Order: sequence, then C-alpha cells, then structure tokens
Amino acid sequence: MTARVALGALGVALTAYGGWLLVTRESDLLDVATWLVAGAVLHDAVLVPTVLVLGVVATRWLPWAARGPAAAGLVVLGSVTLLAVPVLGRFGARADNPTLLDRDYTAGWLVLAGLVLAGVVTATLVRSRLGARRVERGSNTRSG
Amino acid sequence: MRAPAPEDFTSRLHGPALAARVGPALGVCFGICFLTGLLSHYAQQPSQPVPFPPGPAWGYRFTQGLHVVTGTVAVPLLLVKLWTVYPRLFDRPARLDVRHLLVTALERLSVLVLVASAVFMLATGLANSAQWYPWSFSFRTTHYAVAWVAAGSLVLHVGIKLAIVRDELRRPLEHEARPSVLTRRGLLRSTWLAAGVAALATAGQAVPWLREVSVLGVRSGDGPQGLPVNKSAAAAGVTASATAPGWALTVTHGDRSVRLTREDLLALEQRTEDLPIACVEGWSASGTWTGVRVRDLLDRVGAPRGSDVVVRSLQESGPFRTTVLQAGFADDDRTLVALALGGEPLALDHGYPARLIAPNRPGVLQTKWLDRLEVSA
Repeated sequence: MTARVALGALGVALTAYGGWLLVTRESDLLDVATWLVAGAVLHDAVLVPTVLVLGVVATRWLPWAARGPAAAGLVVLGSVTLLAVPVLGRFGARADNPTLLDRDYTAGWLVLAGLVLAGVVTATLVRSRLGARRVERGSNTRSG
Repeated sequence: MRAPAPEDFTSRLHGPALAARVGPALGVCFGICFLTGLLSHYAQQPSQPVPFPPGPAWGYRFTQGLHVVTGTVAVPLLLVKLWTVYPRLFDRPARLDVRHLLVTALERLSVLVLVASAVFMLATGLANSAQWYPWSFSFRTTHYAVAWVAAGSLVLHVGIKLAIVRDELRRPLEHEARPSVLTRRGLLRSTWLAAGVAALATAGQAVPWLREVSVLGVRSGDGPQGLPVNKSAAAAGVTASATAPGWALTVTHGDRSVRLTREDLLALEQRTEDLPIACVEGWSASGTWTGVRVRDLLDRVGAPRGSDVVVRSLQESGPFRTTVLQAGFADDDRTLVALALGGEPLALDHGYPARLIAPNRPGVLQTKWLDRLEVSA
C-alpha cells in the first residue's frame, strides 16, 4: 500500500511538473490542447469503432479458419500502416534535401502487405486442413 | 439507441488478463523513451552542471536510435493495450455517494490524461522523425513538457493498477478450444509480431545492417559522400557565404585571434576519425572525417584546457546558429574541425568549407559551415 501511495504521489508530481513546463514555456497552448484531445478522440471514436465493425463483418463473412489469421494480419498491418503515415504521405519531403524520405514507401508498404497477406492465407489453409481432420475424427468441439 | 455499456463487449480479447500482459511491455517502452529523451535534452543544454561525457562516441547514436525504435514499437503495443481496456470507457459509477463519484472521476481523469499524452507523444514523435510539422507549437518544447505529463500519469496508473497486474500475471491464460476470432494467446502473439515488424521496418535508419529490410525508414542512409543530410545549405541560406572565396575560420581567445583560410587549415596537422552523426530525429550514420583537432586550434590562441567554446555558424538564423562546445568535448582528441569526409573535400550540404564533429554529440550541435570558435578570456 505504501508503495502504491508513493507511486501515486510521484506520478501526480511529475504530471504537474509537465503541465507547468507546458504552460510556462509553450505559447501556442490552444494548438497543443487540440492535438492532445484529437488523438484521444480519434482513437476512441473513430479507430476502435472501425475495428469493431470490421470484427463483426469478419465473423459474419469469413469462414472460421480465416478469422484468426485475418485478425492477426489486421493487428500487424494496421498498426504498422498507422505508424508509417508520415513516411507514406511524404509530408516532410523537401526539394532541397533528397536524402530525407528517400525510399519508395508505397512499394515498401505493398511488399509488407503482400507478406502479411501470404501469411494470412497460409495460416488459413493450415487451419482449415487441421479443422477438417478434426471433424473427420469426430473430435470437433465448438466453443467460444 | 442507448450508449454502450461495458457488458456489451463480449469478446474475451478485452479485459485485465491481456491488459496486464501488454501493459508492462508498453510501460518499458515509454520508460526507455522518457529516459533517452531526457538524456538528449540534457546533451543539448548549453550549461551542464554534470558535463555530458564525450565517450563512448556511439553513446548518443545508440540512445537516440533506441528512443525512436522503442517509440515506434510502442504504437502497436499502445493500440492493443487500449483495445483490451476499451469497454471501461463506458463504465458507470457503481454507487452514487459523493466520495465514490469523486474518486471515480479523478481516476478517469488520470486515464484520460495518460491516453491523450501517450497518443500525443507517439504521433508528434513519429511526425518529427519524418520532419513533418502539421502544427504551430514548438515540437521540442511541447514533446518535452508532455513527456513529463505522460511519465507522471503512467507512474500514477502503475500505482493504481499494480495489484491487478500482479494478480493477473499469477494466473496463466487458459486454453481456448475454438474461439470465434482470435484466442487471447493469439492476440498476444500478433501484438509481439506487430511490434517486431514495426521495429524491423524502421530501425534501418539507425542500424546499418537493417537498411535493406527497413522499407519504412525515414532515410535509406544514402547521401552525398555516403551520408544523409539533415539540413541542406540551401535551406540554411548559406550557399553564397559558404562558397565565398574570402571565407576564413576565426578562432579567438579574449583579444587574441587568428583567421585561417581553408588552405591554412589544410596546411595544419590533419587527423582522421570515424565518428557518427546522430540526429535528434533518430537517424544516424557513421563517417570518416579528416581535419584539424579543435584543441590544436585553441592552442594557437592560448586558450587553456577546460575552456568552453562558443561555436558560430554562417547560418543567419535558427536555434543552433550559435552553440556551446563544452570543455570536455573541446579538449577531446577526437573533436575536429572537419575539412573532408570519406577522403573527399566536405560536400556543401555536409558543412563545406569546415564543420565541427565531436564524439557522442547530438547532430544539431555538430555545427556546419563554421564561422567562428570563441573562448572568452
């Protein structure tokens, strides 16, 4: 309990220090606030609901064997695509500096997406074979 | 139509069993990011109560590469972590007495601060590494201040959740025979896989042998003389002054001063050092630099050992136009006024006619297009 109270007090102190730094050193607080709130709102109100809808669609339309691999593929490709938005859009590219953002990011992303898709298809085929064998043996138990 | 309630989320992929497993990994990533970030800010302080050491030469490169890789890896971890606890967003207070409501409101506020600051840190950090600034605030000031907010609210969160994490980690994840989508173990494995792919796809900007696989790295590592450029001569507005025939480096100590043209500098004893350029944006690359030891130049004006040096660039504006080279770096044998890179005269974008290069230093302090080195008497 003492450790928890100490962590709590330390946490509040560090947070307050960060808030003080922000208020005293940064002049454009409205823009900071917009970005802080926008990140949380976009995540909670747009990103997660989209994934939830995809989940419902997947459980309706995808055969059982493909669901797990497709979800795993979404976790990998979805998160990596999101973190690659700044390079995929090349928003920071500058004509005077060809060494910045100097890869073909679209091609790189397509290769990555191809690998993920290949992984999803392979896993689906393996699972449907295993599933079929289990049905033949009559040991198939449905749950979850 | 009513608002969703936590019970509406029936998937076994939500809940403390997974949150307690992804959370600690995410906490470690944020901890590494926070500490390496503090280190970078300290390294950029002009006056340092404890001098930042000039060795190991690869220290800054390693810590800042780690900063960006762990921040990148934190993206899938944060997304999955938030997914596991998402139903809690719709929690309603269990009782309606004032004390309980107040405690609940404070806890939820702390979670909101944590989520907002965590997403903010990753989004602004990733954009900065690609030199994309779609905002009007100062990245450096804000990323630093919000880092304290994120670290503080994370420590508070750990304090609140520690007991739950401990209990959950004692219970093994049970076997799930035939889940509707993914098993809990399956989601965990996918998360670690996503984290690994995120690292491999970007780390080549700092780790040379990963360049071929890092298809999403901000830099391939190529550039003039085999080294990327952070700011070009054109962007710094120095093309004319850096190529002017009358250029000379001025070295002063009190009222003693010498002016050395590039030919004068080339006539002095030349030293060659392998030193990395490591940028605050997380990319780094190693170069073979040749030039004159800064210490040799300071000796010519009788500046004693232990003196800080004010370094001025030809740049007419920018926060790093004038910087301080602390005594520990100025007196280090590896610190050079570099005139050549990879055996060729320095390219204009690498700081021609002369640039500073020192071990274990932030790239923004490796001043290009040198104008003056000043030691006060």
